Amino acid sequence: MSTLQIGLLYGGATLAALFSGIPIAFALGGVATVFMMLFMPAASVDTITENVYEELASITLLTIPLFILKGAAIGKSRAGKDLYAALHTWLHRVPGGLGVAVVLACGLFAAMAGSSPATCSAIGSSGIPEMRRRGYSPGFAAGLIAAGGTLGILLPPSIVLILYAVRAEQSLGRLFLAGIGPGILLVLLFSAYAMLHWGTEYRRALASGQDSPILTVEHFTLREKFSALPRVAPFLVLLTGVMVALYSGIATPGETAGLGAVMALLLIGLVYGAFTLKDQIPIFAGTLGESGMLLMIIGMSLLYSYVMSYLHISQGAAGWIVSLHLSRWLLLTAILLLVVVLGFFLPPVSIILMTAPIILPPLRDAGFDLIWFGVVMVVVMEMGLIHPPVGLNIFVLNRVSPDIGLGAIIWGTLPFVGLMALAVVILSLVPQIALWLPNLVYG
Amino acid sequence: MTGHGIDAAAATGIPPADVPEAGLPGLAQRVLTPVNTAMAILSAIALLAAACVLTWEVVGRYFLAIPSDWQDELSAILLIAATFTSAGWIQARRGHVAIDALSHVLPVSIDRIRRRLADLCAFAFCAYFAFKSFQLFREAWEEGQTTPSAWGSPLWIPYGCMAFGMALLALQQCAQLLGARRRA
Repeated sequence: MSTLQIGLLYGGATLAALFSGIPIAFALGGVATVFMMLFMPAASVDTITENVYEELASITLLTIPLFILKGAAIGKSRAGKDLYAALHTWLHRVPGGLGVAVVLACGLFAAMAGSSPATCSAIGSSGIPEMRRRGYSPGFAAGLIAAGGTLGILLPPSIVLILYAVRAEQSLGRLFLAGIGPGILLVLLFSAYAMLHWGTEYRRALASGQDSPILTVEHFTLREKFSALPRVAPFLVLLTGVMVALYSGIATPGETAGLGAVMALLLIGLVYGAFTLKDQIPIFAGTLGESGMLLMIIGMSLLYSYVMSYLHISQGAAGWIVSLHLSRWLLLTAILLLVVVLGFFLPPVSIILMTAPIILPPLRDAGFDLIWFGVVMVVVMEMGLIHPPVGLNIFVLNRVSPDIGLGAIIWGTLPFVGLMALAVVILSLVPQIALWLPNLVYG
Repeated sequence: MTGHGIDAAAATGIPPADVPEAGLPGLAQRVLTPVNTAMAILSAIALLAAACVLTWEVVGRYFLAIPSDWQDELSAILLIAATFTSAGWIQARRGHVAIDALSHVLPVSIDRIRRRLADLCAFAFCAYFAFKSFQLFREAWEEGQTTPSAWGSPLWIPYGCMAFGMALLALQQCAQLLGARRRA
């Protein structure tokens, strides 16, 4: 059988296994094992477990459960609510200030917790009712939170970027820093949209001549403005402290993850008194469920791509892409469209692990900076979190505010999908937005 | 799709879902549940211990000038052990995410067959993986294999956790499969 035939068979078998409903981890592991039995030397099957173990036993990959633990600790506390409430008191004079406060809170919380759904439910559970009480349309309120939540996979410590660093053999420190500029760009775009859309809703309410809560002017005393700060400040110190420890060379990424988790658990204990077993059980149960599921997918995806590489499928596919002699930007567009399509049914972890060996060599050949591409790819995968049919954040928000309705949430998120596409275009035109900070720190 | 992968809150603290209650599968489940729970508790402790070891590594090196040689390896073993030994507990909650797009399209009776087939394939793979992990564990035990690092920790510990965890996962899948057959 030729490499092309084996490759097509491998792809077909993978799609069939995934859509049959076999859990993603076992579908990938199963397909890889069957192809090992059929097309590889008999002895290679004996190494499947060793393969998975050796790929997983990397301290960089194993930071993932610890970053999830840190996120779960902060996510299950009241930190999100306090953060957004504090920002609101400071930004109420800005037109659409509540929406801007929500976007900023999502960005900060995402950077502390590193999780999109955790950000959505933490900020959404208080932010959506508050925005609706102030006259924001339900879809707009939900769209803001869903989009803000996606920042969790872009801002450091992003789990998706950790995996990309491992697969693309790029510096994790550089990638984390490269995510910050685009993260700020998205926060600015979302905030600008929040202000513009608020203006439209405000003018509509004014024209209707009826009394609407959106027309109410709010006032906060200085005391109110400062009251939430003592609870929020320690978490912001944690966020910056952990990053400083990483970039000043005090701690490795693995140590940063451990330190971050311990500090987050201590902080929620000290600030919110969450020391009891009743507080800790949901944190650890959530972490175990999420990290166990993820690491299993990662381990099996690595086995899957090992088989793909052994059978020369990835090299063949990469060579074929190169032989098409596409222009640089056409190649990038085609690859990003592929990522969008895969985002319809696969989680970002699997997209990165399965496609990296195929798409990275042609991109490198075409002269693209792989740190820059990693960040752009993550922004594209962020869209997958909020676009139908399987955008995870949409479903998280449907659970947080079931009365809004899935249709209204989806309509509310669509403008943000457009804004993210705009961000990809801006990043392509001005790559320095991503690369400036890592180049400044690492030279 | 039950989740979107990267940070799907698929198994967050929810009680067991889709576990057998009656007959022989139910009896097996009554044995498996406490084992799964015990493994989940141990895994949680391992997670916390790994976080503490890594914190100690940075504090020890930076403030006390203690060399760091074994901490990374110990944390890796703890985290691998936690990942595999909690796999059965996650399975009892159907926390290993799958694409279930077809369930919205297929007629109920055909979809039931699809689910059973998917469960059977997942079980077959996990049982095979558990068997292979056990072979690896036995080899490491008999030959006294250690990691190539200066610390040289015995490899049978992580391999053993992988074998035990995958076996527990396969048993949990088997109980769910047989339980589904009884219900059908």
